[in-house]
Amino acid sequence: MAVCVAVIAKENYPLYIRSVPTENELKFHYMVHTSLDVVDEKISAMGKALVDQRELYLGLLYPTEDYKVYGYVTNSKVKFVMVVDSSNTALRDNEIRSMFRKLHNSYTDVMCNPFYNPGDRIQSRAFDSMVTSMMIQVC
Amino acid sequence: MAQCVQSVQELIPDSFVPCVAALCSDDAERLTRLNHLSFAELLKPFTRLTSEVHMRDPNNQLHIIKNLKIAVSNIITQPPQPGAIRKLLSDVVSGSQPADGLVANVITAGDYDLNISDRSIKASVPWYSNWKDTLMEMKESSLNTATTPWFESYRETFLQSMPASDHEFLNHYLACMLVASSSEAEPMEQFGKLSQEQHRIQHNNDYSYPKWFIPNTLKYYVLLHDVSAGDEQRAESIYEEMKQKYGTQGCYLLKINSRTSNQASDEQIPDPWSQYLQKNSIQNQESYEDGPCTISSNKNSDSNLLSLDGLDNEVKVDGLPNNFRAHPLQLDSSSDPSNNIDGPDHVKSASSLHETKKANPGIIHGACLTLTDHDRIRQFVQEFTFRGLLPHIEKTIRQLNDQLISRKGLSRSLFSATKKWFSGSKVPEKSINELKNTSGLLYPPEAPELQIRKMADLCFLVQHYDLAYSCYHTAKKDFLNDQAMLYAAGALEMAAVSAFLQQGAARPYPAHYMDTAIQTYRDICKNMILAERCVLLSAEILKSQSKYSEAAALLIRLTSEDSDLRSALLLEQAAHCFINMKSPMVRKYAFHMILAGHRFSKAGQKKHALRCYCQAMQVYKGKGWSLAEDHINFTIGRQSYTLRQLDNAVSAFRHILINESKQSAAQQGSFLREYLYVYKNVSQLSPDGPLPQLPLPYINSSATRVFFGHDRRPADEPITVEVAFRNPLKVPLLLTNLSLLWKFQPKDCSGKNDEEVKELVASEPEMIGTEVISEFLINSEESKVARLKLFPHHIGELHILGVVYNLGTIQGSTTVDGIGALPGCHTGKQSLGMSVRGRQDLEIQGPRLNSTKEEKTSITYGPDRRLDPIIVEEMPLLEVFFIHFPTGLLCGEIRKAYVEFVNVSKCPLTGLKVVCKRPEFFTFGGNTTALTPLSPSASENCSAYKTVVTESTSVCTALTSSASSVDFGIGIGSQPEVIPVPLPDTVLLPGASVQLPLWLRGPDEEGVHEINFLFYYESVKKLPKIRHRILRHTAVICTSRSLNARATVCRSNSLEDEEGRGGNMLVFVDVENINTSEAGVKEFHIVQVSSSSKHWKLQKSVNLSENKDAKLGSREKGKFCFKAIRCKEKEVATQSSEDYTFADIIFGNEQIISSASPCADFFYRSLSSELKKAQPSAHTEKQSVEDAVRLIQKCSEVDLNVVILWKAYVVEDSKQLILEGQHHVILHTVGKEAYSSPQKQEPPEMEPLKFFRPENTAVSSRPSVEQLSSLIKTSLHYPESLNHPFHQKSLCLVPVTLLLSNCSKADVDVIVDLRHKTTSPESLEIHGSFTWLGQTQYKLQLKSEEIHSLQLKACFVHTGVYNLGTPRVFAKLSDQVTVFETSQQNSMPALIIINNV
Repeated sequence: MAVCVAVIAKENYPLYIRSVPTENELKFHYMVHTSLDVVDEKISAMGKALVDQRELYLGLLYPTEDYKVYGYVTNSKVKFVMVVDSSNTALRDNEIRSMFRKLHNSYTDVMCNPFYNPGDRIQSRAFDSMVTSMMIQVC
Repeated sequence: MAQCVQSVQELIPDSFVPCVAALCSDDAERLTRLNHLSFAELLKPFTRLTSEVHMRDPNNQLHIIKNLKIAVSNIITQPPQPGAIRKLLSDVVSGSQPADGLVANVITAGDYDLNISDRSIKASVPWYSNWKDTLMEMKESSLNTATTPWFESYRETFLQSMPASDHEFLNHYLACMLVASSSEAEPMEQFGKLSQEQHRIQHNNDYSYPKWFIPNTLKYYVLLHDVSAGDEQRAESIYEEMKQKYGTQGCYLLKINSRTSNQASDEQIPDPWSQYLQKNSIQNQESYEDGPCTISSNKNSDSNLLSLDGLDNEVKVDGLPNNFRAHPLQLDSSSDPSNNIDGPDHVKSASSLHETKKANPGIIHGACLTLTDHDRIRQFVQEFTFRGLLPHIEKTIRQLNDQLISRKGLSRSLFSATKKWFSGSKVPEKSINELKNTSGLLYPPEAPELQIRKMADLCFLVQHYDLAYSCYHTAKKDFLNDQAMLYAAGALEMAAVSAFLQQGAARPYPAHYMDTAIQTYRDICKNMILAERCVLLSAEILKSQSKYSEAAALLIRLTSEDSDLRSALLLEQAAHCFINMKSPMVRKYAFHMILAGHRFSKAGQKKHALRCYCQAMQVYKGKGWSLAEDHINFTIGRQSYTLRQLDNAVSAFRHILINESKQSAAQQGSFLREYLYVYKNVSQLSPDGPLPQLPLPYINSSATRVFFGHDRRPADEPITVEVAFRNPLKVPLLLTNLSLLWKFQPKDCSGKNDEEVKELVASEPEMIGTEVISEFLINSEESKVARLKLFPHHIGELHILGVVYNLGTIQGSTTVDGIGALPGCHTGKQSLGMSVRGRQDLEIQGPRLNSTKEEKTSITYGPDRRLDPIIVEEMPLLEVFFIHFPTGLLCGEIRKAYVEFVNVSKCPLTGLKVVCKRPEFFTFGGNTTALTPLSPSASENCSAYKTVVTESTSVCTALTSSASSVDFGIGIGSQPEVIPVPLPDTVLLPGASVQLPLWLRGPDEEGVHEINFLFYYESVKKLPKIRHRILRHTAVICTSRSLNARATVCRSNSLEDEEGRGGNMLVFVDVENINTSEAGVKEFHIVQVSSSSKHWKLQKSVNLSENKDAKLGSREKGKFCFKAIRCKEKEVATQSSEDYTFADIIFGNEQIISSASPCADFFYRSLSSELKKAQPSAHTEKQSVEDAVRLIQKCSEVDLNVVILWKAYVVEDSKQLILEGQHHVILHTVGKEAYSSPQKQEPPEMEPLKFFRPENTAVSSRPSVEQLSSLIKTSLHYPESLNHPFHQKSLCLVPVTLLLSNCSKADVDVIVDLRHKTTSPESLEIHGSFTWLGQTQYKLQLKSEEIHSLQLKACFVHTGVYNLGTPRVFAKLSDQVTVFETSQQNSMPALIIINNV
């Protein structure tokens, strides 16, 4: 399903990034990092007033030859980026949207952990397994 | 896209200029050669017209041409080789590097500040400060530009070196200059020859290459005249002749070489050629007419450029295997077909050329030309353009226009219906012509469609963009109809460009034309060069319209596998586009920079690659994208290494290693190896330089500890420094030859101090010996401490600076690497793995200062001196050994051990003392023990005590002895914790050792006890700086429960006291075996009970049962009762106040002399520790109590101490052992229980918190009832049972003696009241049936310790058991009349049995 899932902090450093182990990890890091520009652009494209009601899901950020990159921004400007194989046609917008929602919920759980220090890398096992499930599911 | 120097409106016209060929006679060539220039080169700087030019378009409208430029070039019959072009482009790019000192361009994008074009960025060096001020400047000026000159040079060269193709005419020759010299014999003939030659080249089928615009090319005859050498008259006459023959418009007399080259340099003439010739070696190519030469000249200029730019380093890289040496284009040239056809003459020309070119940089171009000559050349070019070229173009346009109109009319008016048919009929015909070219069909040169295109091109060249656009547009339609895709794409491209260039922007820029053209070129025609040109133009146009994202998309789309250089440049430009967007896309910029850097490095452009990575690094740096950051750093490191920027390489590699790396172990291993490899190279370059600072392993500086220990070496005490290393990597690190680095300032004792302060660093063994650890392995992610030693031999100041070691890896570690290691790393030459020598400094931050206000508000740190020891003179050094030191003891057990003191230094020591928080734990024995034999082995099985065999008869009575506490070191006022060690001579000589007995007593509490010893000693010599030394030891003792003793003392009521004075006491001792038999203790035997007191002594055992040995099995309890008496007054008198009387009551047949060591020692120690505990509480309580009370209290005080000595039979390993021990019970008060071991106290209940201050309740100064009751001791003496014949005599009178004894030292008034005080009827019934006869109340006064007896009579009427204890005794101190009224003594029941007989 997803080949790479990343959670990026408000300050644009990675809180969590994981990719399918068979692939070149570095490539995904670059890809996710580059996609932040598009996220920024999409956010700033919306007017100030609209920010409150905006949808969190940003949709397709950009397609590359092999992958599609989707974005999602929480109200606290934490970004979720998901890279999906282009050949995977089973994933429609709705599926991606629900995956993001799942991710967001799981992320919220992580944040609720009183022992989690906001801004640290996410090392929650629950979150990890959730991401794993998202990556395996269809593959 | 980066900003360019030229605007796009200038760029495009300059890229497409009318081309003019030049054909020179040999003589003419010779003339220009004097200036080291070909004819075309000679004209080069002057080919731009300075004035406006007018011409008329086909509609006779006046058209103004501004800034027209023409391109003159020698005729080359060979089309340029693609390989050569590639090489040329590559050289141009590598030749153009950003200048080092250039002011950096900084773009502020969001939270990023990017330094765009500074090559000297170092990967890890904090560049921030460098461009901070630049940044400020840049912010003020709105001009945020970044120039990429290498790209511009590339583009210029690329456009100029485009091979002419058949589908467009822009770079086809419009005219030809035929040049002959005036010095020729037959100049006119020469012109004829040249003309024929030109004709031959154009029209003969042998030459396909130089493309000509139209068949009848304009020929322009130029007569070159050498002013300094030639005959002016002759030249003029020839010119006249020429004018007649070719018309004034078609010929020119150009006078040059006004001076000879050897007379140069008195006049400084600008050299306008240099800028054209150096960077653009296409001239070199053109300056020789032979085809093959082009290659060689290129090669030459290549090496030329290389050497100019210092890039020849690359060739010389010797440490690396060959694939780094290889220039990628060298590989190309070897496979280049043109190289293969080179004959020997090529080699020759190449070599000769080589020579000439070698000297080239020193050659001044145009040495024979004066400024006048420059003007003449400029004049000539103008004249040619005005009179020759432009009229020719004008005419051609007109002709073409006419053709066009006629064709148009034909096709439109008459045959519009049949056009389809025509075109349909054309298709088969042209498909024949379709060659291997996949671009579609080819038109014959005279095809009408091409005429439109020709006209369009001409219009375009003369900047008539309106007309050009409409022509291109028309042509495009035609070509599209014919499916001639290549032609169509060309027309589309130029239509778009001319639409853009139209003045006043008649129509918007048709970007889709361009897109279609690019797509066609690329996908259908597979012509990447044309596609590239198209992209370059389009991107530039889009950029000028601020359509950066479209431009970037365009540029990125053209990157492909076939040309790395092009891809790199385009990606870089795309990156610049991203950053120039309205909201700059920094990350995209960075990413594309990385891609560009990658391609640059593939293309062999290492400097550019490095620059790209460095620029990208700015974005990734420190943002948490560690994987990417590591990758970039790694690449930077490698690129820097291949460019021999070793410092940068090292710092980049260092960066990868010191950051908490998230890479895999294999990856880290390869990083480390490369780092070491690079480092090794650096250090080989400068073997004598300072040792490099190594980044690994981490040193936790603040955890550094310094020990001044010793290991039995006399003198020269080593300094041990404990350094805490941590390996952050997942691969093990091997440190070899690890040692400390230090600096030493020897102190010269002879007084010539300051001048001779030498600084010695390391390796001076006679000053300081340094221990070297040959191998120190730190496993992956391990923390490990290394103990490094120094042996100072001299007095002075030592500064420990750091550690020095070889850092290396282990050979056996994994050698898989992801990115790939530098070649040469694995070449097995270093069989032991790579290692480099380097150092790391220990920098310890001192404690944070926080005392003054200033220090509190700022963060300042004090100095840390732990690494700066001062080496002073020798001091004695003590070692202490414990022999037979137990680890487990029973509570109260006494064990004898030995302690050995050894002086391992070279100077004697004295004043040895030991300090212990728990002095009751051990003793060295008192002074009396000096006679005890001192061999641990001999006394192994003996008792710890000093014993005397006694006869068994004396069992019950006490044997007394006395001892003073002073003898046992328990003096008044001295600290009990400080115990002097009884050294035989108080001095321990060097090398001497002394063994002393040491008795230990298990602490009374069970559990694990840590007992700390601190040995203190001094030197015999008085040293100014250090007077003493100390040695610490911690003993751990585990104790288990043994016995628990409880004792009470009460006054004896008996009258048996022979002495009659002072009273007797009864001491009850309960001993319980509370051992839980884990230790295999079978039973305890109480062997002796001793008393120790100043005033009292045990006299005898009272209730000695048949259990003579006083055995106590597990959980058994034994009870003892002793009678204690006051010591005889005379004894007391003779003894000093600190003397104690010891009385031993023995249950066995051995007396343990309790007044000797160690029994008494432990007794005194426990006493003093007890006193210490009791003191504070006693103090507060008794402070305000008056003397009287104290008196009263005093009489209930008793200072009797009981020592219970026991033996325990222990079975251990089926061997029976006898352990000995003693317990102390300290009795203070009559009637109060005392325990041997401290009782566990319930924590006091929390008092409710009070929020008001309680009233100062006056401390009652009354003594308690209890205290008063003990003032007077009463006892009744009477017959215990009495037989009385009641039937004979109904009244039974019994005499009773009431004995009153005053316990206090004061006079006491006593009132004895015999009246029954009945409180309840029941009690009356029980007790009340007897009466006292006679006086019922007595008033007495008892003197101090006086005993008085009262004779009373009791009268009974019945038989029964009666309690005689009814007399109530009231006592008060005589002098205290009112304060203490009375107190009743609770007398014990005194029962009497009255029987009837």
